[in-house]
Amino acid sequence: MKRIRLSWLPAHVLAWGYAALLLVPLYYFLASAFKDNGAIFSSPLALPTSLSPGNFTRAFELGGLGKAVANSALVTVGGLAVTLFLALPASFALARSTGRAAKMMERAFSLGFLVPTFAALFPTFLLAAATGLFHTRTFMVLLLPATAMPLSVVLLTQFMRTVPPELEEAARMDGAGTLAVLRHIYAPISMPGIAAVVLLNFLNFWNEYLYSLIIIGPDPDQRTTQLALPTLVSTSGTDYGVLTAATVLTLLPVYVVYTVLQRRMQSALITGAVKM
Amino acid sequence: MSTAPVLGTASQPADPSPPAARGARADRGRGSRRGSRRAQGGTWLAVPALVWYVVFMVGPVLAIFVIASLHWPGMLQPRSFAGLDNYRTVLDDPVFWQAFRNTLTQLAIALPVMMVCAYMLAYYVAQRPPGHRVLRYLLFIPGLISTPAKAMFFYAALSPDGLVNGVLRDLGLGSLAKVWLADSGTALYAIIALDIWAGIGFTAVLIAARLGSVSEEIGEAAQLDGAGHWRTMWSIHFPIIRDYFGVATMLQFLWTLFGSAQHVLLLTQGGPGNASSTLSFLVYQRAFLQADLGYSQAVGVFLFVLGLVGMLLIRRAFRQNH
Repeated sequence: MKRIRLSWLPAHVLAWGYAALLLVPLYYFLASAFKDNGAIFSSPLALPTSLSPGNFTRAFELGGLGKAVANSALVTVGGLAVTLFLALPASFALARSTGRAAKMMERAFSLGFLVPTFAALFPTFLLAAATGLFHTRTFMVLLLPATAMPLSVVLLTQFMRTVPPELEEAARMDGAGTLAVLRHIYAPISMPGIAAVVLLNFLNFWNEYLYSLIIIGPDPDQRTTQLALPTLVSTSGTDYGVLTAATVLTLLPVYVVYTVLQRRMQSALITGAVKM
Repeated sequence: MSTAPVLGTASQPADPSPPAARGARADRGRGSRRGSRRAQGGTWLAVPALVWYVVFMVGPVLAIFVIASLHWPGMLQPRSFAGLDNYRTVLDDPVFWQAFRNTLTQLAIALPVMMVCAYMLAYYVAQRPPGHRVLRYLLFIPGLISTPAKAMFFYAALSPDGLVNGVLRDLGLGSLAKVWLADSGTALYAIIALDIWAGIGFTAVLIAARLGSVSEEIGEAAQLDGAGHWRTMWSIHFPIIRDYFGVATMLQFLWTLFGSAQHVLLLTQGGPGNASSTLSFLVYQRAFLQADLGYSQAVGVFLFVLGLVGMLLIRRAFRQNH
Protein backbone atom coordinates (compact mmCIF):
# COMPACT_ATOMS: atom_id res chain seq x y z
CA MET A 1 0.00 0.00 0.00
CA LYS A 2 1.17 3.48 -0.80
CA ARG A 3 0.96 4.75 2.76
CA ILE A 4 3.63 2.33 3.89
CA ARG A 5 6.94 4.17 3.96
CA LEU A 6 10.36 3.80 5.46
CA SER A 7 9.05 4.99 8.82
CA TRP A 8 7.27 1.66 8.91
CA LEU A 9 10.48 -0.28 9.04
CA PRO A 10 10.36 -0.88 12.81
CA ALA A 11 6.77 -2.06 12.48
CA HIS A 12 7.70 -4.52 9.72
CA VAL A 13 10.59 -5.83 11.76
CA LEU A 14 8.53 -6.27 14.93
CA ALA A 15 5.57 -7.89 13.21
CA TRP A 16 7.68 -10.35 11.26
CA GLY A 17 9.92 -10.90 14.26
CA TYR A 18 6.91 -12.08 16.21
CA ALA A 19 5.80 -14.21 13.26
CA ALA A 20 9.24 -15.79 13.33
CA LEU A 21 8.80 -16.55 17.03
CA LEU A 22 5.67 -18.44 16.07
CA LEU A 23 7.43 -20.28 13.27
CA VAL A 24 10.68 -21.17 15.00
CA PRO A 25 9.09 -23.75 17.30
CA LEU A 26 7.36 -25.37 14.36
CA TYR A 27 10.59 -25.54 12.43
CA TYR A 28 12.50 -26.72 15.49
CA PHE A 29 9.99 -29.50 16.04
CA LEU A 30 9.94 -30.58 12.44
CA ALA A 31 13.75 -30.59 12.23
CA SER A 32 14.23 -32.30 15.59
CA ALA A 33 11.77 -35.03 14.69
CA PHE A 34 14.44 -36.34 12.31
CA LYS A 35 17.42 -36.07 14.70
CA ASP A 36 18.68 -37.83 17.78
CA ASN A 37 19.32 -36.18 21.14
CA GLY A 38 22.96 -35.52 20.37
CA ALA A 39 22.23 -33.62 17.18
CA ILE A 40 19.36 -31.75 18.81
CA PHE A 41 21.57 -30.47 21.64
CA SER A 42 24.67 -29.66 19.63
CA SER A 43 23.02 -27.88 16.72
CA PRO A 44 19.39 -27.18 17.58
CA LEU A 45 18.54 -25.14 14.49
CA ALA A 46 20.49 -27.07 11.85
CA LEU A 47 18.65 -28.96 9.14
CA PRO A 48 18.44 -32.69 9.83
CA THR A 49 21.00 -34.78 7.99
CA SER A 50 18.62 -37.58 7.10
CA LEU A 51 14.87 -37.98 6.81
CA SER A 52 14.58 -41.35 8.49
CA PRO A 53 11.19 -41.87 10.13
CA GLY A 54 12.72 -43.69 13.11
CA ASN A 55 11.47 -41.20 15.67
CA PHE A 56 7.96 -41.41 14.34
CA THR A 57 7.83 -45.18 14.55
CA ARG A 58 9.33 -45.04 18.05
CA ALA A 59 6.69 -42.48 19.05
CA PHE A 60 4.04 -44.91 17.93
CA GLU A 61 5.59 -47.68 20.02
CA LEU A 62 6.56 -45.71 23.14
CA GLY A 63 3.56 -43.42 23.37
CA GLY A 64 1.05 -45.90 21.99
CA LEU A 65 0.32 -43.11 19.58
CA GLY A 66 -1.65 -45.13 17.06
CA LYS A 67 -4.28 -46.01 19.61
CA ALA A 68 -4.19 -42.49 21.02
CA VAL A 69 -4.92 -40.95 17.61
CA ALA A 70 -7.81 -43.37 17.15
CA ASN A 71 -9.17 -42.44 20.59
CA SER A 72 -8.86 -38.74 19.84
CA ALA A 73 -10.70 -39.22 16.56
CA LEU A 74 -13.42 -41.18 18.34
CA VAL A 75 -13.90 -38.60 21.08
CA THR A 76 -13.84 -35.71 18.60
CA VAL A 77 -16.25 -37.23 16.09
CA GLY A 78 -18.54 -38.61 18.78
CA GLY A 79 -18.56 -35.28 20.59
CA LEU A 80 -19.32 -33.42 17.37
CA ALA A 81 -22.19 -35.76 16.57
CA VAL A 82 -23.77 -35.33 19.99
CA THR A 83 -23.24 -31.57 19.82
CA LEU A 84 -25.07 -31.25 16.51
CA PHE A 85 -27.75 -33.68 17.56
CA LEU A 86 -28.54 -31.49 20.58
CA ALA A 87 -27.77 -28.01 19.27
CA LEU A 88 -29.54 -28.19 15.91
CA PRO A 89 -33.04 -28.90 17.26
CA ALA A 90 -32.46 -26.51 20.16
CA SER A 91 -31.47 -23.56 18.00
CA PHE A 92 -34.24 -24.41 15.55
CA ALA A 93 -36.71 -24.20 18.42
CA LEU A 94 -35.25 -21.01 19.86
CA ALA A 95 -35.11 -19.26 16.49
CA ARG A 96 -38.76 -19.95 15.71
CA SER A 97 -40.34 -19.47 19.11
CA THR A 98 -41.38 -16.13 20.43
CA GLY A 99 -42.64 -17.35 23.79
CA ARG A 100 -41.25 -16.44 27.16
CA ALA A 101 -39.87 -19.92 27.84
CA ALA A 102 -37.78 -19.78 24.70
CA LYS A 103 -36.42 -16.38 25.62
CA MET A 104 -35.39 -17.63 29.05
CA MET A 105 -33.70 -20.70 27.60
CA GLU A 106 -31.77 -18.56 25.17
CA ARG A 107 -30.63 -16.34 28.01
CA ALA A 108 -29.57 -19.40 30.02
CA PHE A 109 -27.39 -20.55 27.13
CA SER A 110 -25.78 -17.16 26.66
CA LEU A 111 -24.96 -16.96 30.36
CA GLY A 112 -22.97 -20.13 29.78
CA PHE A 113 -20.23 -18.01 28.21
CA LEU A 114 -19.51 -16.67 31.66
CA VAL A 115 -19.22 -20.02 33.38
CA PRO A 116 -15.56 -20.85 33.78
CA THR A 117 -15.76 -24.55 33.09
CA PHE A 118 -12.31 -25.14 34.44
CA ALA A 119 -13.37 -24.31 37.98
CA ALA A 120 -15.79 -27.23 37.96
CA LEU A 121 -13.12 -29.81 37.29
CA PHE A 122 -13.49 -31.66 40.55
CA PRO A 123 -17.31 -31.77 40.65
CA THR A 124 -17.23 -33.05 37.06
CA PHE A 125 -14.89 -35.78 38.18
CA LEU A 126 -17.43 -36.73 40.88
CA LEU A 127 -20.15 -36.80 38.25
CA ALA A 128 -18.07 -39.16 36.14
CA ALA A 129 -17.52 -41.41 39.13
CA ALA A 130 -21.23 -41.35 39.98
CA THR A 131 -22.26 -42.35 36.46
CA GLY A 132 -19.76 -45.19 36.45
CA LEU A 133 -18.05 -43.71 33.41
CA PHE A 134 -14.88 -42.66 35.18
CA HIS A 135 -11.73 -43.52 33.22
CA THR A 136 -13.60 -43.85 29.94
CA ARG A 137 -13.64 -41.96 26.68
CA THR A 138 -17.41 -42.28 26.75
CA PHE A 139 -17.78 -39.69 29.47
CA MET A 140 -15.77 -37.20 27.40
CA VAL A 141 -18.07 -37.81 24.44
CA LEU A 142 -20.95 -36.83 26.72
CA LEU A 143 -19.19 -33.99 28.54
CA LEU A 144 -17.59 -32.10 25.65
CA PRO A 145 -20.90 -31.32 23.91
CA ALA A 146 -22.19 -29.76 27.14
CA THR A 147 -19.22 -27.38 27.23
CA ALA A 148 -19.86 -26.58 23.57
CA MET A 149 -23.59 -26.04 24.00
CA PRO A 150 -23.71 -22.28 24.78
CA LEU A 151 -21.60 -21.27 21.80
CA SER A 152 -23.17 -23.74 19.40
CA VAL A 153 -26.76 -22.92 20.30
CA VAL A 154 -26.28 -19.15 20.31
CA LEU A 155 -24.41 -19.19 17.01
CA LEU A 156 -26.80 -21.56 15.25
CA THR A 157 -29.86 -19.70 16.53
CA GLN A 158 -28.59 -16.58 14.81
CA PHE A 159 -28.20 -18.42 11.56
CA MET A 160 -31.61 -20.09 11.83
CA ARG A 161 -33.22 -16.69 12.27
CA THR A 162 -32.21 -15.82 8.72
CA VAL A 163 -34.63 -18.41 7.34
CA PRO A 164 -37.65 -16.61 5.85
CA PRO A 165 -40.87 -17.80 7.56
CA GLU A 166 -42.56 -18.03 4.13
CA LEU A 167 -40.47 -21.09 3.33
CA GLU A 168 -41.77 -22.88 6.39
CA GLU A 169 -45.33 -21.84 5.66
CA ALA A 170 -45.07 -23.22 2.15
CA ALA A 171 -43.65 -26.51 3.43
CA ARG A 172 -46.38 -26.73 6.04
CA MET A 173 -49.01 -26.35 3.32
CA ASP A 174 -47.45 -29.34 1.68
CA GLY A 175 -47.93 -31.22 4.93
CA ALA A 176 -44.37 -31.21 6.30
CA GLY A 177 -43.97 -31.94 10.00
CA THR A 178 -41.79 -29.98 12.42
CA LEU A 179 -38.78 -32.24 12.06
CA ALA A 180 -39.08 -32.27 8.29
CA VAL A 181 -39.06 -28.48 8.33
CA LEU A 182 -35.85 -28.57 10.36
CA ARG A 183 -34.22 -31.11 8.12
CA HIS A 184 -35.19 -29.81 4.71
CA ILE A 185 -35.40 -26.06 5.23
CA TYR A 186 -33.56 -24.82 8.32
CA ALA A 187 -30.55 -27.10 8.34
CA PRO A 188 -29.54 -26.54 4.69
CA ILE A 189 -29.90 -22.77 4.94
CA SER A 190 -27.83 -22.63 8.16
CA MET A 191 -25.01 -24.65 6.60
CA PRO A 192 -22.38 -21.89 7.07
CA GLY A 193 -23.29 -21.73 10.76
CA ILE A 194 -23.10 -25.49 11.08
CA ALA A 195 -19.69 -25.44 9.41
CA ALA A 196 -18.45 -22.81 11.87
CA VAL A 197 -19.74 -24.77 14.85
CA VAL A 198 -18.17 -27.99 13.58
CA LEU A 199 -14.78 -26.39 12.92
CA LEU A 200 -14.62 -24.59 16.25
CA ASN A 201 -15.62 -27.63 18.20
CA PHE A 202 -13.31 -29.84 16.19
CA LEU A 203 -10.43 -27.67 17.41
CA ASN A 204 -11.65 -27.56 21.00
CA PHE A 205 -12.40 -31.26 21.21
CA TRP A 206 -9.22 -32.42 19.51
CA ASN A 207 -7.10 -30.14 21.68
CA GLU A 208 -8.88 -30.70 25.01
CA TYR A 209 -6.42 -31.59 27.74
CA LEU A 210 -7.23 -30.96 31.40
CA TYR A 211 -10.64 -32.63 31.59
CA SER A 212 -9.36 -35.59 29.62
CA LEU A 213 -6.43 -35.88 31.99
CA ILE A 214 -8.73 -36.19 34.99
CA ILE A 215 -11.57 -38.14 33.43
CA ILE A 216 -9.80 -40.52 31.07
CA GLY A 217 -6.62 -40.94 33.04
CA PRO A 218 -3.51 -42.86 32.07
CA ASP A 219 -5.03 -45.99 30.49
CA PRO A 220 -3.35 -46.37 27.06
CA ASP A 221 -6.51 -48.01 25.71
CA GLN A 222 -8.60 -44.96 26.45
CA ARG A 223 -6.32 -41.94 26.39
CA THR A 224 -6.21 -39.33 23.64
CA THR A 225 -3.18 -37.91 21.82
CA GLN A 226 -3.08 -34.85 24.06
CA LEU A 227 -2.68 -37.17 27.03
CA ALA A 228 -0.13 -39.42 25.37
CA LEU A 229 2.10 -36.49 24.42
CA PRO A 230 3.27 -35.34 27.89
CA THR A 231 3.98 -38.95 28.92
CA LEU A 232 6.97 -38.86 26.59
CA VAL A 233 8.67 -36.36 28.88
CA SER A 234 10.60 -38.15 31.55
CA THR A 235 12.76 -36.91 34.36
CA SER A 236 15.32 -39.62 33.70
CA GLY A 237 16.07 -38.33 30.22
CA THR A 238 13.61 -37.31 27.57
CA ASP A 239 14.16 -38.52 24.03
CA TYR A 240 13.55 -35.21 22.31
CA GLY A 241 13.50 -36.71 18.86
CA VAL A 242 10.58 -38.93 19.80
CA LEU A 243 8.84 -36.15 21.74
CA THR A 244 9.05 -33.72 18.85
CA ALA A 245 7.98 -36.36 16.35
CA ALA A 246 4.92 -37.12 18.47
CA THR A 247 4.09 -33.43 18.79
CA VAL A 248 4.29 -33.04 15.03
CA LEU A 249 1.90 -35.95 14.63
CA THR A 250 -0.70 -34.45 16.99
CA LEU A 251 -0.53 -31.12 15.16
CA LEU A 252 -0.88 -32.65 11.73
CA PRO A 253 -4.68 -33.11 11.56
CA VAL A 254 -5.29 -29.57 12.77
CA TYR A 255 -2.88 -28.09 10.24
CA VAL A 256 -4.29 -30.07 7.37
CA VAL A 257 -7.81 -28.89 8.19
CA TYR A 258 -6.59 -25.32 8.73
CA THR A 259 -4.69 -25.14 5.47
CA VAL A 260 -7.54 -26.60 3.43
CA LEU A 261 -10.30 -24.56 5.06
CA GLN A 262 -8.25 -21.51 5.97
CA ARG A 263 -10.84 -18.80 5.29
CA ARG A 264 -13.65 -20.69 6.88
CA MET A 265 -11.61 -21.64 9.94
CA GLN A 266 -10.46 -18.07 10.48
CA SER A 267 -13.96 -16.68 10.38
CA ALA A 268 -15.19 -19.49 12.62
CA LEU A 269 -12.51 -18.78 15.20
CA ILE A 270 -13.17 -15.05 15.16
CA THR A 271 -16.93 -15.47 15.40
CA GLY A 272 -16.60 -18.06 18.12
CA ALA A 273 -14.22 -16.09 20.28
CA VAL A 274 -16.19 -12.90 20.21
CA LYS A 275 -19.44 -14.64 20.93
CA MET A 276 -17.86 -16.01 24.05
CA MET B 1 -27.47 -8.39 20.42
CA SER B 2 -29.85 -9.67 23.02
CA THR B 3 -28.28 -13.11 23.02
CA ALA B 4 -25.08 -12.21 24.82
CA PRO B 5 -26.05 -9.85 27.59
CA VAL B 6 -22.62 -8.99 28.91
CA LEU B 7 -20.83 -8.70 25.64
CA GLY B 8 -23.83 -7.62 23.64
CA THR B 9 -23.06 -4.02 22.87
CA ALA B 10 -19.47 -4.79 22.13
CA SER B 11 -20.07 -7.41 19.51
CA GLN B 12 -22.76 -5.43 17.79
CA PRO B 13 -20.58 -3.78 15.15
CA ALA B 14 -18.96 -7.06 14.31
CA ASP B 15 -22.25 -8.92 14.18
CA PRO B 16 -21.25 -12.06 12.29
CA SER B 17 -24.79 -13.03 11.43
CA PRO B 18 -25.67 -12.21 7.86
CA PRO B 19 -27.61 -8.98 7.36
CA ALA B 20 -30.70 -11.01 6.69
CA ALA B 21 -30.60 -12.23 10.29
CA ARG B 22 -31.11 -8.74 11.54
CA GLY B 23 -33.82 -8.28 8.99
CA ALA B 24 -35.60 -11.38 10.17
CA ARG B 25 -35.51 -10.23 13.74
CA ALA B 26 -36.91 -6.86 12.77
CA ASP B 27 -39.68 -8.65 10.88
CA ARG B 28 -40.69 -10.54 13.93
CA GLY B 29 -40.97 -7.33 15.84
CA ARG B 30 -43.20 -5.78 13.19
CA GLY B 31 -45.63 -8.53 12.51
CA SER B 32 -46.39 -10.51 15.63
CA ARG B 33 -49.14 -12.28 13.72
CA ARG B 34 -46.61 -13.93 11.49
CA GLY B 35 -44.35 -14.60 14.46
CA SER B 36 -47.03 -16.51 16.28
CA ARG B 37 -47.91 -18.55 13.25
CA ARG B 38 -44.26 -19.46 12.97
CA ALA B 39 -44.11 -20.65 16.56
CA GLN B 40 -46.31 -23.65 16.07
CA GLY B 41 -44.85 -26.43 18.15
CA GLY B 42 -41.26 -27.25 18.78
CA THR B 43 -40.06 -25.27 21.78
CA TRP B 44 -39.60 -28.59 23.54
CA LEU B 45 -36.86 -29.36 21.01
CA ALA B 46 -34.59 -27.08 23.03
CA VAL B 47 -35.11 -29.08 26.19
CA PRO B 48 -32.57 -31.91 25.62
CA ALA B 49 -29.78 -29.41 24.97
CA LEU B 50 -30.75 -27.46 28.06
CA VAL B 51 -30.87 -30.57 30.24
CA TRP B 52 -27.47 -31.64 28.95
CA TYR B 53 -26.03 -28.26 29.69
CA VAL B 54 -27.53 -28.10 33.17
CA VAL B 55 -26.39 -31.60 34.14
CA PHE B 56 -22.82 -31.36 32.87
CA MET B 57 -22.05 -27.67 33.39
CA VAL B 58 -24.38 -25.79 35.70
CA GLY B 59 -24.60 -28.63 38.21
CA PRO B 60 -20.85 -29.05 38.65
CA VAL B 61 -20.35 -25.29 38.99
CA LEU B 62 -22.96 -25.11 41.75
CA ALA B 63 -21.36 -28.12 43.40
CA ILE B 64 -18.15 -26.11 43.87
CA PHE B 65 -19.93 -23.98 46.45
CA VAL B 66 -21.35 -27.00 48.26
CA ILE B 67 -18.05 -28.88 48.42
CA ALA B 68 -16.28 -25.74 49.60
CA SER B 69 -18.38 -25.91 52.74
CA LEU B 70 -17.45 -29.51 53.57
CA HIS B 71 -14.67 -31.12 55.56
CA TRP B 72 -13.56 -33.69 53.05
CA PRO B 73 -9.99 -34.89 53.55
CA GLY B 74 -9.97 -37.43 50.69
CA MET B 75 -12.19 -39.17 48.18
CA LEU B 76 -13.00 -42.14 50.40
CA GLN B 77 -13.01 -40.25 53.69
CA PRO B 78 -16.24 -39.28 55.43
CA ARG B 79 -17.50 -35.77 54.81
CA SER B 80 -18.93 -33.36 57.34
CA PHE B 81 -20.27 -29.85 57.20
CA ALA B 82 -17.57 -27.29 57.78
CA GLY B 83 -19.32 -23.98 57.28
CA LEU B 84 -16.72 -21.35 56.53
CA ASP B 85 -13.80 -23.33 57.98
CA ASN B 86 -12.26 -24.06 54.59
CA TYR B 87 -12.23 -20.39 53.67
CA ARG B 88 -10.55 -19.61 56.98
CA THR B 89 -7.91 -22.31 56.43
CA VAL B 90 -7.28 -21.00 52.94
CA LEU B 91 -6.91 -17.42 54.09
CA ASP B 92 -4.46 -18.45 56.81
CA ASP B 93 -2.34 -20.48 54.42
CA PRO B 94 0.84 -18.82 53.13
CA VAL B 95 0.75 -21.16 50.10
CA PHE B 96 -2.57 -19.64 49.06
CA TRP B 97 -1.16 -16.14 49.34
CA GLN B 98 1.91 -17.09 47.34
CA ALA B 99 -0.33 -18.50 44.61
CA PHE B 100 -2.49 -15.39 44.80
CA ARG B 101 0.55 -13.12 44.39
CA ASN B 102 1.77 -15.23 41.49
CA THR B 103 -1.60 -15.01 39.79
CA LEU B 104 -1.65 -11.23 40.22
CA THR B 105 1.92 -10.96 38.89
CA GLN B 106 0.97 -13.14 35.96
CA LEU B 107 -2.09 -11.04 35.12
CA ALA B 108 -0.31 -7.73 35.73
CA ILE B 109 2.47 -8.60 33.29
CA ALA B 110 0.79 -10.82 30.73
CA LEU B 111 -2.43 -8.88 30.13
CA PRO B 112 -1.05 -5.38 29.39
CA VAL B 113 1.88 -6.65 27.33
CA MET B 114 -0.31 -9.01 25.38
CA MET B 115 -3.12 -6.55 24.71
CA VAL B 116 -0.95 -3.57 23.77
CA CYS B 117 1.23 -5.67 21.45
CA ALA B 118 -1.83 -7.38 19.99
CA TYR B 119 -3.52 -4.07 19.28
CA MET B 120 -0.47 -2.60 17.58
CA LEU B 121 0.05 -5.76 15.57
CA ALA B 122 -3.62 -5.77 14.61
CA TYR B 123 -3.39 -2.15 13.46
CA TYR B 124 -0.36 -3.08 11.38
CA VAL B 125 -2.12 -6.06 9.77
CA ALA B 126 -5.26 -3.99 9.15
CA GLN B 127 -3.21 -1.53 7.04
CA ARG B 128 -2.62 -4.43 4.63
CA PRO B 129 1.15 -4.14 4.35
CA PRO B 130 2.92 -6.44 1.90
CA GLY B 131 2.54 -10.04 3.04
CA HIS B 132 -0.36 -9.38 5.39
CA ARG B 133 -2.18 -12.51 4.22
CA VAL B 134 0.77 -14.72 5.18
CA LEU B 135 1.06 -12.87 8.44
CA ARG B 136 -2.59 -13.47 9.24
CA TYR B 137 -2.13 -17.16 8.50
CA LEU B 138 0.82 -17.34 10.87
CA LEU B 139 -0.83 -15.37 13.65
CA PHE B 140 -3.47 -18.05 13.96
CA ILE B 141 -0.91 -20.68 14.89
CA PRO B 142 -1.31 -20.34 18.67
CA GLY B 143 -5.07 -20.58 18.28
CA LEU B 144 -4.71 -23.94 16.61
CA ILE B 145 -2.30 -25.89 18.74
CA SER B 146 -3.24 -27.66 21.92
CA THR B 147 -2.03 -26.75 25.36
CA PRO B 148 0.21 -29.81 25.68
CA ALA B 149 1.82 -29.03 22.32
CA LYS B 150 2.44 -25.41 23.35
CA ALA B 151 3.86 -26.60 26.64
CA MET B 152 6.10 -29.08 24.80
CA PHE B 153 7.44 -26.18 22.70
CA PHE B 154 8.38 -24.35 25.85
CA TYR B 155 9.64 -27.45 27.57
CA ALA B 156 11.93 -28.25 24.66
CA ALA B 157 13.08 -24.65 24.42
CA LEU B 158 13.71 -24.07 28.11
CA SER B 159 15.01 -27.42 29.35
CA PRO B 160 18.71 -27.50 30.36
CA ASP B 161 19.77 -28.88 26.96
CA GLY B 162 17.07 -27.04 25.10
CA LEU B 163 16.89 -24.52 22.32
CA VAL B 164 17.43 -21.34 24.39
CA ASN B 165 20.50 -22.61 26.20
CA GLY B 166 21.82 -24.07 22.96
CA VAL B 167 21.50 -20.75 21.17
CA LEU B 168 23.06 -18.91 24.12
CA ARG B 169 26.03 -21.26 24.04
CA ASP B 170 26.36 -20.82 20.27
CA LEU B 171 26.47 -17.07 20.79
CA GLY B 172 29.19 -17.47 23.41
CA LEU B 173 26.79 -16.45 26.17
CA GLY B 174 26.88 -19.83 27.88
CA SER B 175 27.16 -18.18 31.27
CA LEU B 176 23.58 -16.94 30.90
CA ALA B 177 22.28 -20.45 30.39
CA LYS B 178 19.92 -21.55 33.14
CA VAL B 179 17.61 -24.31 34.21
CA TRP B 180 14.79 -21.94 33.32
CA LEU B 181 11.90 -24.07 34.50
CA ALA B 182 13.48 -25.17 37.77
CA ASP B 183 14.89 -21.81 38.84
CA SER B 184 12.68 -20.01 41.34
CA GLY B 185 13.68 -16.73 39.72
CA THR B 186 12.51 -17.67 36.24
CA ALA B 187 9.89 -20.43 36.51
CA LEU B 188 6.89 -18.13 36.89
CA TYR B 189 8.17 -15.89 34.10
CA ALA B 190 8.42 -18.88 31.78
CA ILE B 191 4.70 -19.44 32.34
CA ILE B 192 4.01 -15.77 31.70
CA ALA B 193 6.13 -15.89 28.54
CA LEU B 194 4.02 -18.77 27.29
CA ASP B 195 0.83 -16.76 27.91
CA ILE B 196 2.20 -13.76 26.04
CA TRP B 197 3.67 -15.76 23.18
CA ALA B 198 0.41 -17.59 22.57
CA GLY B 199 -1.90 -14.69 23.38
CA ILE B 200 -0.61 -11.93 21.09
CA GLY B 201 -1.19 -13.65 17.77
CA PHE B 202 -4.73 -14.79 18.28
CA THR B 203 -5.86 -11.55 19.93
CA ALA B 204 -4.26 -9.59 17.11
CA VAL B 205 -6.30 -11.46 14.53
CA LEU B 206 -9.48 -10.85 16.49
CA ILE B 207 -8.80 -7.14 16.74
CA ALA B 208 -7.65 -6.91 13.12
CA ALA B 209 -10.99 -8.37 12.06
CA ARG B 210 -12.75 -5.59 13.94
CA LEU B 211 -10.40 -2.88 12.63
CA GLY B 212 -11.16 -4.09 9.13
CA SER B 213 -14.71 -2.88 9.53
CA VAL B 214 -13.68 0.64 10.57
CA SER B 215 -14.14 2.92 7.58
CA GLU B 216 -10.86 3.64 5.81
CA GLU B 217 -11.85 7.26 5.35
CA ILE B 218 -11.52 7.85 9.06
CA GLY B 219 -7.86 6.96 8.98
CA GLU B 220 -7.26 8.82 5.73
CA ALA B 221 -8.91 11.96 7.03
CA ALA B 222 -6.65 11.88 10.06
CA GLN B 223 -3.60 11.44 7.83
CA LEU B 224 -4.63 14.45 5.77
CA ASP B 225 -4.76 16.46 8.96
CA GLY B 226 -1.15 15.48 9.45
CA ALA B 227 -1.64 12.87 12.15
CA GLY B 228 1.03 10.15 12.10
CA HIS B 229 0.18 6.48 12.35
CA TRP B 230 0.99 6.46 16.04
CA ARG B 231 -1.63 9.14 16.70
CA THR B 232 -4.14 7.63 14.28
CA MET B 233 -3.73 4.29 15.97
CA TRP B 234 -4.26 5.45 19.53
CA SER B 235 -6.49 8.52 19.31
CA ILE B 236 -8.63 7.76 16.25
CA HIS B 237 -8.99 4.00 15.88
CA PHE B 238 -8.64 2.92 19.46
CA PRO B 239 -11.65 4.90 20.76
CA ILE B 240 -13.77 3.41 17.98
CA ILE B 241 -13.01 -0.19 18.85
CA ARG B 242 -12.59 0.41 22.58
CA ASP B 243 -15.57 -1.73 23.49
CA TYR B 244 -14.38 -4.62 21.35
CA PHE B 245 -10.90 -4.27 22.80
CA GLY B 246 -12.53 -4.66 26.22
CA VAL B 247 -14.16 -7.91 25.14
CA ALA B 248 -10.86 -9.28 23.84
CA THR B 249 -9.18 -8.24 27.10
CA MET B 250 -11.87 -10.01 29.07
CA LEU B 251 -11.33 -13.19 27.05
CA GLN B 252 -7.60 -13.13 27.62
CA PHE B 253 -8.13 -12.35 31.29
CA LEU B 254 -10.29 -15.45 31.69
CA TRP B 255 -7.97 -17.66 29.65
CA THR B 256 -4.94 -16.50 31.60
CA LEU B 257 -6.64 -16.79 34.97
CA PHE B 258 -8.16 -20.23 34.46
CA GLY B 259 -5.87 -21.67 31.81
CA SER B 260 -2.69 -21.28 33.80
CA ALA B 261 -3.38 -24.53 35.66
CA GLN B 262 -2.51 -26.56 32.57
CA HIS B 263 0.62 -24.59 31.77
CA VAL B 264 1.89 -24.83 35.33
CA LEU B 265 1.03 -28.51 35.50
CA LEU B 266 2.87 -29.30 32.29
CA LEU B 267 5.91 -27.07 32.76
CA THR B 268 6.81 -26.61 36.42
CA GLN B 269 4.17 -28.30 38.60
CA GLY B 270 4.18 -25.19 40.72
CA GLY B 271 7.83 -25.57 41.60
CA PRO B 272 10.44 -25.07 42.68
CA GLY B 273 8.67 -24.99 46.05
CA ASN B 274 5.57 -22.97 45.27
CA ALA B 275 7.43 -20.38 43.25
CA SER B 276 5.29 -20.82 40.14
CA SER B 277 2.04 -22.04 41.67
CA THR B 278 -1.04 -20.09 40.58
CA LEU B 279 -4.57 -20.08 41.98
CA SER B 280 -6.03 -22.30 39.31
CA PHE B 281 -3.14 -24.72 39.66
CA LEU B 282 -3.70 -24.77 43.42
CA VAL B 283 -7.32 -25.83 42.84
CA TYR B 284 -6.09 -28.70 40.71
CA GLN B 285 -3.20 -29.65 42.97
CA ARG B 286 -5.24 -29.76 46.18
CA ALA B 287 -8.04 -31.75 44.58
CA PHE B 288 -6.11 -34.29 42.56
CA LEU B 289 -2.62 -34.49 44.00
CA GLN B 290 -3.21 -33.86 47.69
CA ALA B 291 -6.87 -34.86 48.07
CA ASP B 292 -7.78 -31.89 50.23
CA LEU B 293 -11.13 -31.43 48.59
CA GLY B 294 -12.80 -28.79 50.73
CA TYR B 295 -9.70 -26.61 50.58
CA SER B 296 -9.42 -27.04 46.83
CA GLN B 297 -12.99 -26.00 46.16
CA ALA B 298 -12.74 -23.06 48.57
CA VAL B 299 -9.87 -21.80 46.43
CA GLY B 300 -12.13 -22.55 43.46
CA VAL B 301 -14.75 -20.20 44.90
CA PHE B 302 -12.10 -17.48 45.28
CA LEU B 303 -11.03 -18.05 41.71
CA PHE B 304 -14.62 -17.84 40.54
CA VAL B 305 -15.19 -14.57 42.39
CA LEU B 306 -11.89 -13.17 41.14
CA GLY B 307 -12.97 -14.03 37.60
CA LEU B 308 -16.31 -12.26 37.98
CA VAL B 309 -14.83 -9.18 39.66
CA GLY B 310 -12.09 -8.95 37.04
CA MET B 311 -14.59 -9.21 34.21
CA LEU B 312 -16.76 -6.47 35.66
CA LEU B 313 -13.74 -4.21 36.20
CA ILE B 314 -12.47 -4.75 32.66
CA ARG B 315 -15.96 -4.20 31.27
CA ARG B 316 -16.26 -0.97 33.20
CA ALA B 317 -12.79 0.23 32.19
CA PHE B 318 -13.46 -0.20 28.48
CA ARG B 319 -17.06 0.86 28.30
CA GLN B 320 -17.71 3.11 25.32
CA ASN B 321 -17.88 6.67 26.53
CA HIS B 322 -18.89 8.94 23.70
